[in-house]
Amino acid sequence: MALKDFRAMMERDSYCNSCKWIPYDKIRSQRFAENCPTNLYYQFHLYSVRGKWQAAQTYLDTQEGTLGKDPLIKQYGYDFNSSPDFLESVQSCTTCGSCDVSCKVCRFNLEPLAFNIELKNEAILRGFVLPQQKEAIEALKKEQTLITGVKKADRQAWAKGINFAADAETVFFPGCKYSYDPELQAYARKAAETLINAGVKLGFMGDADMCCAGRAYQQGFYDEFNARADANIKAFQAKGVKTIVTPCADCYHAFKRLYAARGLNVKVLHLVEYLDELIKSGDLKFTKNVDMVVTYHDPCHLGRQGEPYVAWNGTEKKIMHQVHTWDPPRPRYNGAHGIYDAPRDVIKSIPGVKLVEMERIREYALCCGAGANTQVNFPEFSAATASERVTEANTTGADALVTACPWCEANFKNAVDENGNKIDVIDIIDLVARAL
Amino acid sequence: MDGIKAALVNLLGAANVSDDEKVLAEYASDKSFARAISPLCVVKVENGDQVEALVKLANEKKIPLIPVSSKGPHYRGDTVPSVPGAVIVDLSGMKKIISINKLHRMAVIEPGVTYGELQEALAKEDMHFAYTLAPRDTKSVMASIMEIEPRLNAMHGWSYTEPLRCLEITWGDGNRMYTGDAAAGGPVGSLETQFKQEKWQVSPLGPMMTDFHRLITQSQGTMGIATWASVRCELALQAHECFFLTAKEEKDLLNFVWDVNHVRFSEELFIMNKNQIAYLMGKDAAEIAALKTALPAWVVFVGVGGRELLPKERCAQQAADIEEFAQKNKLTLVRSIGGVSANDFYKKAISVCPAEKYWKETYKGAFQDIFFLSKLDDSAMFIDKMNAIATSLGYPASDIGVYVQPIHMGTEYHVEFTIPYDPTSKKETELAKELFIKASEALSAAGAFYARPYGPWAHIQLNKDAMNTKTLTTLKGIFDPNGIMNPGKLSI
Amino acid sequence: MAFNQEAYKELELIVGKRYVTQDIAERECYRSIMAESSAHSGPFDGETPIPGAVILPGSTEEVQAIVKVCNKYDIHFKACTTFWSVMGFVGDEDSLQIDMKRMKKMEFHERDQYVIVEPYCIGAVVQVEAMKRGFNVNMAGVGCSSSTLAGASSWVAFGPSSCFMGVASENFLAVEWVLPNGEILRTGSLGSGGDWFCGEGPGPSTRAILRGTQGTAGSFGVCTRLAVRLHPWPGPTVLPSYGTIPAYKLVPQWNIKTYTLNFPDWDGYANTINYLSQNQDIAYLGHRQYNMWGRYIKLAMIKMLLDPDGQLADVPKYMEDPFIKEQTEKCRIDLQVVIVGMTKRDMEWKEKAIDEILRRVNGWKNEFMLQPEVQDWVALYLLRLGHKNLNYTLCSSYEGSGGLSNNVFVTSQVMEEYHQLREEFDKTHNGLAATGGDSEMGALSTLGGGGITGYEFFQWFDRHDRSSIDDCRDFIQNYSQKLCDKYGFGTDMGNWNNTARHPDTGYYYTQEEQNEMFAGAPQPYLFTYQFLIKKAFNPKDLCGSYYRTLDPACLKK
Repeated sequence: MALKDFRAMMERDSYCNSCKWIPYDKIRSQRFAENCPTNLYYQFHLYSVRGKWQAAQTYLDTQEGTLGKDPLIKQYGYDFNSSPDFLESVQSCTTCGSCDVSCKVCRFNLEPLAFNIELKNEAILRGFVLPQQKEAIEALKKEQTLITGVKKADRQAWAKGINFAADAETVFFPGCKYSYDPELQAYARKAAETLINAGVKLGFMGDADMCCAGRAYQQGFYDEFNARADANIKAFQAKGVKTIVTPCADCYHAFKRLYAARGLNVKVLHLVEYLDELIKSGDLKFTKNVDMVVTYHDPCHLGRQGEPYVAWNGTEKKIMHQVHTWDPPRPRYNGAHGIYDAPRDVIKSIPGVKLVEMERIREYALCCGAGANTQVNFPEFSAATASERVTEANTTGADALVTACPWCEANFKNAVDENGNKIDVIDIIDLVARAL
Repeated sequence: MDGIKAALVNLLGAANVSDDEKVLAEYASDKSFARAISPLCVVKVENGDQVEALVKLANEKKIPLIPVSSKGPHYRGDTVPSVPGAVIVDLSGMKKIISINKLHRMAVIEPGVTYGELQEALAKEDMHFAYTLAPRDTKSVMASIMEIEPRLNAMHGWSYTEPLRCLEITWGDGNRMYTGDAAAGGPVGSLETQFKQEKWQVSPLGPMMTDFHRLITQSQGTMGIATWASVRCELALQAHECFFLTAKEEKDLLNFVWDVNHVRFSEELFIMNKNQIAYLMGKDAAEIAALKTALPAWVVFVGVGGRELLPKERCAQQAADIEEFAQKNKLTLVRSIGGVSANDFYKKAISVCPAEKYWKETYKGAFQDIFFLSKLDDSAMFIDKMNAIATSLGYPASDIGVYVQPIHMGTEYHVEFTIPYDPTSKKETELAKELFIKASEALSAAGAFYARPYGPWAHIQLNKDAMNTKTLTTLKGIFDPNGIMNPGKLSI
Repeated sequence: MAFNQEAYKELELIVGKRYVTQDIAERECYRSIMAESSAHSGPFDGETPIPGAVILPGSTEEVQAIVKVCNKYDIHFKACTTFWSVMGFVGDEDSLQIDMKRMKKMEFHERDQYVIVEPYCIGAVVQVEAMKRGFNVNMAGVGCSSSTLAGASSWVAFGPSSCFMGVASENFLAVEWVLPNGEILRTGSLGSGGDWFCGEGPGPSTRAILRGTQGTAGSFGVCTRLAVRLHPWPGPTVLPSYGTIPAYKLVPQWNIKTYTLNFPDWDGYANTINYLSQNQDIAYLGHRQYNMWGRYIKLAMIKMLLDPDGQLADVPKYMEDPFIKEQTEKCRIDLQVVIVGMTKRDMEWKEKAIDEILRRVNGWKNEFMLQPEVQDWVALYLLRLGHKNLNYTLCSSYEGSGGLSNNVFVTSQVMEEYHQLREEFDKTHNGLAATGGDSEMGALSTLGGGGITGYEFFQWFDRHDRSSIDDCRDFIQNYSQKLCDKYGFGTDMGNWNNTARHPDTGYYYTQEEQNEMFAGAPQPYLFTYQFLIKKAFNPKDLCGSYYRTLDPACLKK
């Protein structure tokens, strides 16, 4: 869809403000009820999808030269130049999708997340690219990763010595963060080794292991994402891959949803799903106690955005004169079928571990603040969001915060809560490994 | 005077205008400590048209007006002129009960309707009006509810001004208005037309964005004159049981009261000390003295009941539940104390008292009340303070009557101290007056809120509240621009 | 378009540069289509004017300072919090939109059964914090996403809980209010430095000028803090829910039961409402809720909403399901009630009381709605009132039409006629969702102690479709209003606010325009007194024309 294709949705949004909160039915306290990271941080209404629905209308009218088309509405045109705040509200959105989930509790004809990303693409098309983004895209092109300052040649260093099967139909895809972050590389190793030791015939893409570019898509770089995605799909096909297992939530979402839309037809599992299967089938057995109270953070792209892809090409259809439907029915993508239970089951099956929940969990978990590369593009805002989450984690009394996404993990590790306290952040791979 | 009298006679007829000394004397003072000033004359009015014309005349000739709806005796000083040359507007003759509608629990009454008259009329329809504690038989229902006198049933006090609903008012500038539903969406002012349209003047709010009825409540006649009111009534209780609970100290009863209030049980719920019960129940001073000896120090009275739906079951259910609340608070429900049965007490509490023998005067012949609003838990502190001040002045604290009544669903508590004294004794009278004034000040300093600021309470309260004073003064300037309505009251 | 720059600099000094903006898009998103939610000011075109600046104060002191700046420079201002309704938006350009989002403190006084709230405490968060303490709070029908303070102080705000907890006005205790001239009024016991427990007096209550039936809708300064009453809540300290989004349901509780009562005729409906509202201790919540979607589809909608993958396209197939079809017909005249038992005996009596009422009116409990997962869904829905955006779900917009009445015995007799009116309209127009002409939603009681119900017929329309907007306007102006006139219901709800701001452009009315509107009003003094009150407290007339006034000089002509 192009931005103009969202015109009807812009006009049909109802200013209910659900997009700023977790689903109201799930609120358990005032402190942890709000859920839009930008709105929490910036506070002005423009920093919410509702604000953007409204602002985008006059923006679009300005672009299309149709200002003042309605004599009853006095308009003053603007673009991203004349409204730096509009640009920042667009660029700072972490694309966590919380607004999408909350909106869809009641609405069936709005797509807030897709709109947020479309706005980002719009900004790029108009030439508004942050210096950090420019660097990242250049790195993607040159070194096949969005992480700057690293080399393609060093991407496989973490995998040295691991016995991947050359002809495996199941490949392990660590993603850029696990591949390059020196603090996280060990977990990539542990993940692969754990699967292999559990009897999985596990392959690896080797030189063809390149950035999924999901985070490029999240920032609105459609062309760059498409190019990378198509190349990767070809590589998977060439290698005869039937299943991709990844410990990275962003890669998971990219393959499961975005690549599937571009023709990738493989089974995509997050590591936690695979571990859960192995534990339940008895192929992975724990031998040690890990006496710890933990709380679990649902990564956006594994949780609410981890739903299966459903192909759809439809149109709006009104029934009963004015009831809006889609023909054929449009996939809801409301977070109902995200991956929430697998990681929890894994955690709860570890002897000695007690799981306590935060308030904002599952489809209404608070974003870590790193989506859409925000930790690079808007570091202060990203840190504030992470701090908010760590504050919530610390109120549970848990010893540690466990997560299943390296971007979340890295952002939390650097964060302090509102009282200046950190929390021990544990990768779920690490937690599992401690019990083996 | 002659010119004014002539104008009044011309407007209302000679029979309705009196400057007879005896008549004037009835209004020149009351049983409070208010300074006596004789009015210029007393006029009787019969309807809203006359009141409107009178107020317009008063504006023209700058005549102070004091509306009075109840026949005496009066006790608060609000009907005593504060300035010379005032005209008493006697509304007590307006005695129509204009309508009673059982389905909607509504009645429309004029200012002169008394409690006895209204209860009798409602009883014929198996209804009753919200009870206030043993009012005198000359007390105007409208005056009582407009001055927000407390009701025994806080659970039907959905708003602070309940059971008052709509009003016909002539403001101090002579404009006549209708408030709430009486003004909305239809013919304004014509009750007959509204009744035909099945409109029963139910909601008191507005109209629009001003709660006009709140400008005339607690106003002691300083804003305007109301000439009819729609009031919320109740169906008669089909089942009722009542009990006492007793304790040595008032504070030991508060948790029980809170528990009952919190779950919104009870038909009646209030606290009294033995003195107040004795004053209510005793036929004479000797009987009162005996009761004071026999009764426990502090008492909660609680009644439960049912109306049109499964009343006996409702009554039994609440009785059983409040028994558990009592046990939880280490109290016991009893049906009589010191020879006084709960049922007899209830009957007395809800009945009308002859004005010439008002129950608070039985013990010594006269009394002064101090009352204010408080939070529940502060009542014990106020009681201690009152006792301490009385003792320090040489007044027997053992004579002070105490009545603590939850109102507005238990959001506020009306705390009332009754100070009996012998009016024939100069010494006692002086002492009572001194206690009245010093205690009023001291209680205010301790946080008592004189929501109904009679007499000296007006400057005590308003001196602490510059912004409300300023706002009220401004509003008074709008609704009574010539300052003719009961000037000198409320310190505005 | 020029916001006074001297004033802007002073505003920056008050709140800091971070919390005030003149950015064009920031200002743009503080506009509302005139048709938006409870605007009640059809016709429904146009958007409200763009403000000159937007500011986010963090305290009462900052609000006061802001208002003083506005007075100094003659800048119009309007405060709002959740902006659910068009009345929160400004009515002229170069004005200041005050967004109260940063003010969200709460302070509970459990023993005295009230909570002090700041503007951005939405109903949901006040409720969850109250429930932890064994209390609940009145939730306006607009839902838990709206400001408790705004509902209590500034609009009508009755809802399903009003039958037990009273209407907003009855929950309004002491208040702290920055008047339009920049002074701060603290009412009742608060005014003299006391607590917040009493909002009235001393003497006549100054809160009289702050509220009324419908509140001042932000046109009389800024309400900064308010004490609202708390009500008993004997349920769990956190509402436990189960189910997959969006079909969250309440884990069953022994002392919380929901029923959909059905009646053979409208007399039964009216009598039941009378029983429940006059005996205010039976129903904890009471609402005719799901009929808002339209008589034909209400149960099919519920069925669809219970499915995480459900879509509006599924509704027709559910309508054809024999069981749902049968139950929908039986549910033609219905009412939802939630009973909550304070004690075991209390619960038993309430169950019996409901059965007794049904016996008297020959009513019954709807079988579809008795299914456990439906009951659980309804219970959570009504208690939390967190699905108010379902008010927009069919198309994108709705307008409430018809009107309030103080007598359900009168209004209930008009229901079938209203239903037919819409059915006839739908035969020749397709701009409104044809889901059943009776799309009335309403509260069992809009006043403590009953006697008044509040209802509105939902006219569902698509704001992206000009013909749909036109049909909505046409229906309200030319059909619904005629029915209201026939029965003396007064101005159709869809036009209530036509005297508040220009219906199409959203601009405020000038005093001259208001004079023309109100000089012939049945009670002109209502407006002349408000003129004088405005003159005294808002001498520069900075807050817009929701505060309706009539210059007394016009009456002398």
